[in-house]
Amino acid sequence: MLLPKFDYHEPTTLEEALKMLSELGGNAKILAGGTDLLVRMKQKIDMPSHVISIARVPGLDAIVPRDSHGVTVGSAVTAAALSRNELIMDRFTPLALAASRLGAPMIRNRATIGGNLVNGRPAADLPPACMVLNASLKLKSAGTERDVPVVDFFRGPGETMMEPNELLISINMDTPPPWTGGAYIKLGARKTLEISMVNVAALLTLQSADGPITEARIALGAVAPTPVRAYAAEDFLIGQKPSEQLFQKAGEIGVGMCSPITDHRGTMEYRCMMIEVLTKRALMAALERARNWQP
Amino acid sequence: MTDYAVLNTRAPRIDGPAKATGRAMYADDFNMPGMLYAAILQSPLAHAKILNIDASKARKLPGVRAVVTAKEAGLVKYGVSPARYDETLFAYDKVRYVGDEVAAVAAVDMDTAQEALELIKVDYEELPAVFDMFEAMKEGAPQLHEEFPGNMNAEVHQEFGDTDAGLEQSDLVVNHTFLNKRQDAAFIEPHSCLAVFGLDGRLTLHTSTQVPHYVMRTVAMVLQIPVGDVRVMKPYVGGGFGPKCEATPLEMSAAFLARQTGKPVKMTYTRQQVFLHSRARHQFYAEMSLGVKNDGTLVALRNKAILDGGAYTSFGIATVYYSGSLLGGPYKLKAMKYDGYRVYTNRPACGAQRGHGGVAHRAAFEQLLDMTAEKLGMDPVEMRLKNIMTTGDMTVNELDMSSLGMKDCIEAVRDGSGWKGKKGKLPKGKGIGMACGFFVSGAGYPIYRSETYHSTVVIKVSEDGGTVTVLTGSAEIGQGSDTTMAMIAAETLGMTLDNVRVISGDTDLSVDLGAYSSRQTLMTGHATKEAAEQIRNRIAQYLAEEMGCDPSSITFRDGVVLFDGQPGNFEKIRSNYIKEHRGWTDPPHGEYLTFREAARLAFLKGGTLVGTGKYKPPRLGGSYKGAAVGTSPAYGCSAQVVEVTVDLETGEVTVDNMTDAHDCGLAINRTLVEGQMQGSLSMGLGECLFEEVKFDSRGRVLNPSLGEYKIPTALDMPKVKSIIVESNEPNGPYGAKEVGEGAIMPTIPAILNAIYDATGARMNELPVSSERLYMAMEKQRGE
Amino acid sequence: MKKIIKLIVNGEKVEAAVEPNRTLVQLLREDLGLTGTKHGCGLGDCGACTVILDGKPVNSCLVLAAQADGREVLTIEGLAENGKLHPIQQAFVDKGAIQCGFCTPGMILSAKALLDATPNPTEVEIRTAISGNLCRCTGYQKIVEAIQAAGQALAGTEVS
Repeated sequence: MLLPKFDYHEPTTLEEALKMLSELGGNAKILAGGTDLLVRMKQKIDMPSHVISIARVPGLDAIVPRDSHGVTVGSAVTAAALSRNELIMDRFTPLALAASRLGAPMIRNRATIGGNLVNGRPAADLPPACMVLNASLKLKSAGTERDVPVVDFFRGPGETMMEPNELLISINMDTPPPWTGGAYIKLGARKTLEISMVNVAALLTLQSADGPITEARIALGAVAPTPVRAYAAEDFLIGQKPSEQLFQKAGEIGVGMCSPITDHRGTMEYRCMMIEVLTKRALMAALERARNWQP
Repeated sequence: MTDYAVLNTRAPRIDGPAKATGRAMYADDFNMPGMLYAAILQSPLAHAKILNIDASKARKLPGVRAVVTAKEAGLVKYGVSPARYDETLFAYDKVRYVGDEVAAVAAVDMDTAQEALELIKVDYEELPAVFDMFEAMKEGAPQLHEEFPGNMNAEVHQEFGDTDAGLEQSDLVVNHTFLNKRQDAAFIEPHSCLAVFGLDGRLTLHTSTQVPHYVMRTVAMVLQIPVGDVRVMKPYVGGGFGPKCEATPLEMSAAFLARQTGKPVKMTYTRQQVFLHSRARHQFYAEMSLGVKNDGTLVALRNKAILDGGAYTSFGIATVYYSGSLLGGPYKLKAMKYDGYRVYTNRPACGAQRGHGGVAHRAAFEQLLDMTAEKLGMDPVEMRLKNIMTTGDMTVNELDMSSLGMKDCIEAVRDGSGWKGKKGKLPKGKGIGMACGFFVSGAGYPIYRSETYHSTVVIKVSEDGGTVTVLTGSAEIGQGSDTTMAMIAAETLGMTLDNVRVISGDTDLSVDLGAYSSRQTLMTGHATKEAAEQIRNRIAQYLAEEMGCDPSSITFRDGVVLFDGQPGNFEKIRSNYIKEHRGWTDPPHGEYLTFREAARLAFLKGGTLVGTGKYKPPRLGGSYKGAAVGTSPAYGCSAQVVEVTVDLETGEVTVDNMTDAHDCGLAINRTLVEGQMQGSLSMGLGECLFEEVKFDSRGRVLNPSLGEYKIPTALDMPKVKSIIVESNEPNGPYGAKEVGEGAIMPTIPAILNAIYDATGARMNELPVSSERLYMAMEKQRGE
Repeated sequence: MKKIIKLIVNGEKVEAAVEPNRTLVQLLREDLGLTGTKHGCGLGDCGACTVILDGKPVNSCLVLAAQADGREVLTIEGLAENGKLHPIQQAFVDKGAIQCGFCTPGMILSAKALLDATPNPTEVEIRTAISGNLCRCTGYQKIVEAIQAAGQALAGTEVS
């Protein structure tokens, strides 16, 4: 399959990249891993006249811990790197798990967290994980800089609140408190290489190893025009003693937050049922990790 | 079992190193000076009249060297079965599916060719289209072909014995229906070819095909050139599985463009085009009634098939016959009635795919057997054992089971899987299921009515050096036929395998119908054996002359010659050889005369030594209409046991392990046979759980990619225990018969029967996606 | 406008002028004549185009040739040394892990990347490492066995 023709740019500094973006704006697309953009270009869904590669822009591909308070993940960090990073696996587990389930090994070696967020696909793997981790996204343009909570980032299928001249620089997350555990579950047809029919990320914080729930975050993908936080289900859990029945109920509430569609991958009815089941399971897995939390 | 020197081993396949190093050349790997790149323009509409085609802008585009449409290519009708030649290379009056070929362009590079396609202006007048086979049969449905009213492409009505009486006399009659979806072969290498016309007007077509012979004939016919002027050379092929069993528009377009431009023309389908081209697994609807006695004896089967054939016939005649004929075995039936209907719809044409028309109906029937066994309180394995045929039996539709290791296969999987300890004892959500199947070892008749030999083989002995080259038109497509023929030749000649070379897939070398209907091991194998025997006998004769002994006292084994089982007194032959090869550093040595020396002597006495072999099946089958389809000189058979885990909350099915036994008569190469078994199982698993070609309301394929058409990955396939059963087929070379297609037959029903065991849900619609199973379980819960 | 790129392919320096829309798989197959890397789908779904880029297996159909500038690429042609098969190639040949051979180059390179990082992989690790390489012929069983055998051969503990 052939790529359409385009002008190719390889800025070597962030300033250069941002300047290009402001000049070329809506006619340009950022190329990071290419596993989404190049596919869409071959399918003639996207035909930008300019492609700006950020491969040579320094400082975008690092995972930088901020003491023990948090971590800053560069937007060009690959899914493979995320899935193997010890800090991410330990303290930001849903993100490591989601990254490990994205596509297949070769895709993970190229796909970036930035691309997975910026493309705004409802079924993408990383957004729900970022949402339960309350990630904050740093966006820059030639003249501006702003931090946007990931929960406010998505507008609709393929649409985010980014301006055409903005670049996603990094994803910032605070380390969750003690007795926190997270999970990520994805439902597809095969065991790999799948775009989710339903995916769920969950994060639970307990008061203590056997204590009640003090914080609960649940995010769902592929079941609404954007990934969504199931706030009503989260609120329901706060202060409660964790149990499978409780999580079942939370799943039922979570369905109410969703508006899945019927498409060739699955019907709305089935997706709703699976939201319940996967939410419950994600919460169970999160609970297990929360109870086994180590300093 | 006979003690073979070469056969029945795990000899590494002879083309392994070439493939492992990337040196093996597939069609798209070829490059020639001045080569042009071609692309095909396809219809975006499912059914439309063509009012006008204007290619003028395309022709003017710099870099475009030729554009062909029906105007330039002509209207010679072609297809697969001559009785149903219903296609022209390019659509001229109307297009019949999204993907129907309208024009082709050759240009200096692919970008230009694609750009040119967009400049071809086609004026369509859209017509109502029909996408469902049931709708297509109704009164008033849009008609695809004038000559086939009611969109009825083919109808089969066969009855053996008195089925109505049989069902009446049965103690129990069980009914079942079954529906699969269109599937795709999903070979990893898309169709690709390179067409070159020589200055002498001869066409050489390098193409990824299973059937060089049929391609040669069809291309000659459609291009209207003498068949002797067409040479098809098959390079390495990245999988075939059925859709590469016929001449494709790719090949014919490339040939026309090559002729027009005088340049080599390469054309490769995109993956999307592979899906649009299809010629893959039909959609089948099955409706069956099985009558049995209370003791489990099968009495009569009423079988109906409705097939969605798509816009053209392709292989479909054979398909709609196989859905009936392949239920004649492997169980004894007193009567069988079959009504089959193949229907045209405005979708890509369907053809042959591994197991052909037998797969869906075998799945339905093996479920029906399980349902019947359950009603009778019988174990499914016992039900099969009670009814299976055995060697020497004849089916009601006159298929002769000259060898049938069905019992051995069933017992092997029953014991190999631990069936007795598991069946009925697994917790809810875990299940075990079994099924059987059988298949032809090559169709009894060629596709075109002819007395032609199905395989001829030429073997040439090198005049010096003692190596042997097998020249065959047969098609190595990954199944291992080259290695198989090399091993048969080596065994017959008493040579070591490393001195046998195979050149294959070239229509200049010999006639071979190709790799389909699982025929090459038996048919090409016979021809290879015969050619090798000829050579062996000639060499033996020359040796006998030289040594003054009887030729029948001479044997060859492991690359040496034995005279009455002894080394013999061959000094003169050796010393002559050494004298002739003064300066060589590797003179023949050892106690025995070597093949190298014997072959050299044969040349010195008689000139270049060539052996020819040929094979054609004897006249097979009954005298009823359609008797030809299903006939074969031999039948392979198999049994499988599958264990599954069903996630009761989501409907997801995990196949935990598979135990598979296949009777291949004699395994020429044990590793290759296992490979075919394991590959068949993976296709069956995919077809059962994941695979489905999906369409939108306008007849466009929704999932023409390997991301959205889901074949099993390494994480989806379980471990397979493969058991080879050898029943020693009298009609096969060295007792060998098929494995390539028969092995898929039991897979889908074994999985379905296991799912039933795990959940109580009888899934009779494929694929069994998690949603489909979940909804079925929900419905059960509600009942 | 064409861009001049300099990269190392199978240990050799290569310089080429490429259009922006040229992919790495096109560069390898068409410009450098390295046809061992195959093209199965163009969208990263099948893995037939797998090459090792700066030590990591990637789908070369989704890498621009321009993105390979300054990088190191290993294709299937770069494995055998002086005509001798690499142990992974030998294991594939010995264990019957090859049928049509079209997935083989990509499969072998994914295996190499795995064994370089994890010399003694479990079966799950092997299946995961090749989960992006589709095979329609083998059912993966003999491929897994070949990779296990190759791992042992590379570690020096041969099993016959």
